[in-house]
Amino acid sequence: MDMTDLDGVVGADDPLDASDVALLERVAELSGRVDPVPEGLVERSRFAMTLAGLESEVMELMVLEAPAGTVRSDAPPLETRTITFTHERLTVMIALSPGDEPRTVRVDGWLAPAETLTVVLRRPDGDHRTTADDDGRFVLENVPRGLASLLVEQDDLPITTPVIEL
Amino acid sequence: MGGPGARRGAYHGALGSWQTSEAPRASEHEAARGEMTSPAETESLGDRAAAALVGYREGHAELMSEFVREATPMLWHTVRAQGVPREVADDVVQQTWAALVAHVESITEPQATLKWLLVTARRAAWEAVRKGRADDHRRTELPDDDADTAATLPDTAPGPEAEVLRDERDRMLWTALQQLPGRCQELLRLVSLADRPDYRSISAAIGMPVGSIGATRGRCLAKLRAVLTEQGETSWT
Repeated sequence: MDMTDLDGVVGADDPLDASDVALLERVAELSGRVDPVPEGLVERSRFAMTLAGLESEVMELMVLEAPAGTVRSDAPPLETRTITFTHERLTVMIALSPGDEPRTVRVDGWLAPAETLTVVLRRPDGDHRTTADDDGRFVLENVPRGLASLLVEQDDLPITTPVIEL
Repeated sequence: MGGPGARRGAYHGALGSWQTSEAPRASEHEAARGEMTSPAETESLGDRAAAALVGYREGHAELMSEFVREATPMLWHTVRAQGVPREVADDVVQQTWAALVAHVESITEPQATLKWLLVTARRAAWEAVRKGRADDHRRTELPDDDADTAATLPDTAPGPEAEVLRDERDRMLWTALQQLPGRCQELLRLVSLADRPDYRSISAAIGMPVGSIGATRGRCLAKLRAVLTEQGETSWT
């Protein structure tokens, strides 16, 4: 169907009435049910804004591959999962597994191409820093679960991942 | 899920954390509180976006925090309407909000904030779709690509529609909506998500002249009703 098929529909020029409003409310309600906004997206967005306020300019990595639901807060808590972030200049892969302490995770990461760069895991309550080795590997142990974003420090432009739920 | 008040309280710290060095002056603080307590019916989503931007620039983040909660569904559906998979759409929405922070000083007209967000979300969604296609293309060129790791991004809503649309009337309305032109569907969803339609913002976001939005909304609604009537659903007419 083309937009021109809408010409000459009876009632098209009537002002918005109560039944229109009721119909629109149902449309909104159904959209929300069929394609719900992911759990925690508002919180992740707010933290992403906080982080954006800290860095003047960053290069954003995008999620390349992630098992369904793993970046959302309803992700299974204690399973090992791997998330890959990518950009033209850098790929970051992280494997998450339960930490030694309760409610923590261990982050095993790889940078490709391999480079000894500082990696900062940013959380609402503070940063965890480490440095990738010659093979581009880095480990962050006993990171409390919750919102987090990785920042890789480069000479000119820091590279960040979207906010995910550890 | 807590109420809006609870959320605002819980995240005030996170969103406001980069501005804790300087407490807002009393007069500004009073002004912000005045905005927050004014009745929502008297202003549109676009007005609240403008107030959030102005408040944010002045160093208090409460209105912005609340506006993020209110406008995220609109951004989500705008991004999804461009054909972006759910996992990627999550990034695109975050990126759009982060971009607002980065451009907070360059938006000269606060009233254009909502429009700016919707346009930015739409462009970022197109970019994500373009990149996704390029990635898929690269993948198919790799002969040793592991079938298990390729294309793991889910493309559809969680669970089949049949499960969330158990009610016969819900299914009928959803089916009828799907029969409308794509732009009609997008327009009705955006209008339905704004509690008081802000045509200026929506027109920019879906590339339709402001003047025709009202008329198009009317035609889309009328068409939707006509389809429903054809299907035997008469309670809307």
